[in-house]
Amino acid sequence: MMDRLSAVQKCVFAIILAGMVMLVTIPLLFFITVSFSNATEMTQFPKRMFPSGEVTVYVEPEEGGKYELFYDYKDGNGYTSIITTNSASKLEKHFARQYAVTIDGDELLEEFAKTRTEGAREFTFKKDMFYNFRQFFKIVPNAGPALKNSIIVSLYTILISLSLGSLAGYAIARYKFKGREQINVGLLIVRMFPTVGISIPMAVMLIKMGLYDTMLGLAFLYSIPNIALTSWITSSIFIGINKELEEASFVFGANSVQTFMKITLPMAFPAMAASSMYSFLTAWNDTISALILTNENQTLALVVYKAIGTTSSGIQYAAAGSIVLIIPALVFTFIIRKYIGQMWGGVEL
Amino acid sequence: MHKSLKVPKKATPYLLLFPIFIYYAVFWLAPVVSGVREVFIGMDGGFTLTENLKLMFQSELFSESVLNTAAFAAISVILQYIIALVLALLLSRKFTGSKLLMFVSMIPMAITPTATAILWKTGLVKDGWINSLLMNLHIIDQPIVFMNAEGFNAILLLIAIDTWTVTPSVMIILIAGLQGLQRELKEAAYTFGANKWQILKDITLPILKPSITTSVIMRMIAAVQVWSIAVMVLGYSKAPFLVERIAFYVDAIPGVDTSTKLAYTYSFLTTIVVLLATVVYLRVSNRNRIAGGGEEG
Repeated sequence: MMDRLSAVQKCVFAIILAGMVMLVTIPLLFFITVSFSNATEMTQFPKRMFPSGEVTVYVEPEEGGKYELFYDYKDGNGYTSIITTNSASKLEKHFARQYAVTIDGDELLEEFAKTRTEGAREFTFKKDMFYNFRQFFKIVPNAGPALKNSIIVSLYTILISLSLGSLAGYAIARYKFKGREQINVGLLIVRMFPTVGISIPMAVMLIKMGLYDTMLGLAFLYSIPNIALTSWITSSIFIGINKELEEASFVFGANSVQTFMKITLPMAFPAMAASSMYSFLTAWNDTISALILTNENQTLALVVYKAIGTTSSGIQYAAAGSIVLIIPALVFTFIIRKYIGQMWGGVEL
Repeated sequence: MHKSLKVPKKATPYLLLFPIFIYYAVFWLAPVVSGVREVFIGMDGGFTLTENLKLMFQSELFSESVLNTAAFAAISVILQYIIALVLALLLSRKFTGSKLLMFVSMIPMAITPTATAILWKTGLVKDGWINSLLMNLHIIDQPIVFMNAEGFNAILLLIAIDTWTVTPSVMIILIAGLQGLQRELKEAAYTFGANKWQILKDITLPILKPSITTSVIMRMIAAVQVWSIAVMVLGYSKAPFLVERIAFYVDAIPGVDTSTKLAYTYSFLTTIVVLLATVVYLRVSNRNRIAGGGEEG
């Protein structure tokens, strides 16, 4: 009775829904377009909403084997003269830098030679869609190693959090012992603890240990909230795992290690996968701690953060870099989405 | 039979917990202690109760950073929850495309903060996509200069960005809470002549309350630690926040003695603020548990 909607209500409902989806997707769409834009498109205004796949130029034959190149900036002035040249290398550079068209200079001259017989005309070239991505890794020299570092630090964080966290989670789930409540509260405090608060003393300590500017050192910091988180997630799963099964395994002569490896662990796998993805996201998304704890060995998020400060003219490259940064984070978030609601105060999604 | 189990049963949990005790002693407690110690050691190396705190209070943009952090956390969280609640109430029924809505709503939260900052920076510059969109829709004739925003306007700008990032996922949480709401309860209320507003006020909101309060505190803890969007969109010192100050002293003016001390002291202050919020969280979630509310988070 309450849920039957009138036509007007349905209409309002649809508008709100469409509005929400658009509010989220339109900024993303523009952003993706920016990451695929060439330098010339970046100077144009208004900006395109969808990425373009090709570039059109107008070429006029000139004396001395030269060609005059025109480009339409869509600013109402029509074709504007850009350069007049007969140099293959100059053309090649211009096409790569300005239009993200990677094509051999001599090939361009050959194409343009057609204007000698056919007269001035337009030429359309296919854009190199991954030009900005390649450029990002070229302009930011440590972006490649940083990508590797990000993967390594994420793996370390997962490994540390999972091994220590699931042991604790198992203990909390399976045993009644003195101090259990206190340990639970302690773990919650550590989980909420802002890692940025201890990043600086941690840096001093890691220098002493010889682990400053290493991914292992960074992983030690990222693991602090994640060990606690892992033990919390896994303990709630271990509680649900049938204890009789474990006892049966004991009866058949397996020791506790074997039982844990063969029976308990496989059953707890989904929870462990989810918590390792949280660990991944912490390590993958952080910038502030990486800023404090590293010097040469930066992570990808940090490199992208620094790139935006230095390449104000080439923000499309930083945008391409951040697309590389987003994709794994996005994929993993969708995998763990079931657990996110629980994280936020115990709501199941 | 249990020959391999040499340790007495009583000791097993402690044995399992031993590694994380060691871990937290070395990598958490030790840095926390030395971080706190640094706050109370003066420039000359001697003990001081207030020197560094004074240094922080008198440092440039201190009061702005505190006020901004408080304003940001309070306004953004309140705004996000109001919008999310309205949307959740409207969208909580099952409808075609609800899966798609959930999918789309997850995206902003999943994006790495660094990337979110670049996304909005490319939009907010004068020839950015926001102006492009507004011009194409003929809402404005002249591009708006967003990046010059200062003071409270800059904070509002950052609140808007944060709202875009967070609201959809808050909405999902509230929708999830609403779907668990027993329909019988609502129908019974209807039968007894309650109107929609009364149902919302007396049934829906009280049932949502536990999940709202706990997630609000979690959100606040995250909001207090805002910095990357502020720095990446506007730059250092344009919209000072507590954690932004830490990054500023570490990143922008490193190597100076006072900046290290200031970074320590700001870290200390941030930690205190977050821990206070955690204490509130614990109290609230305990009360909820006692009251039979949602599971503890």
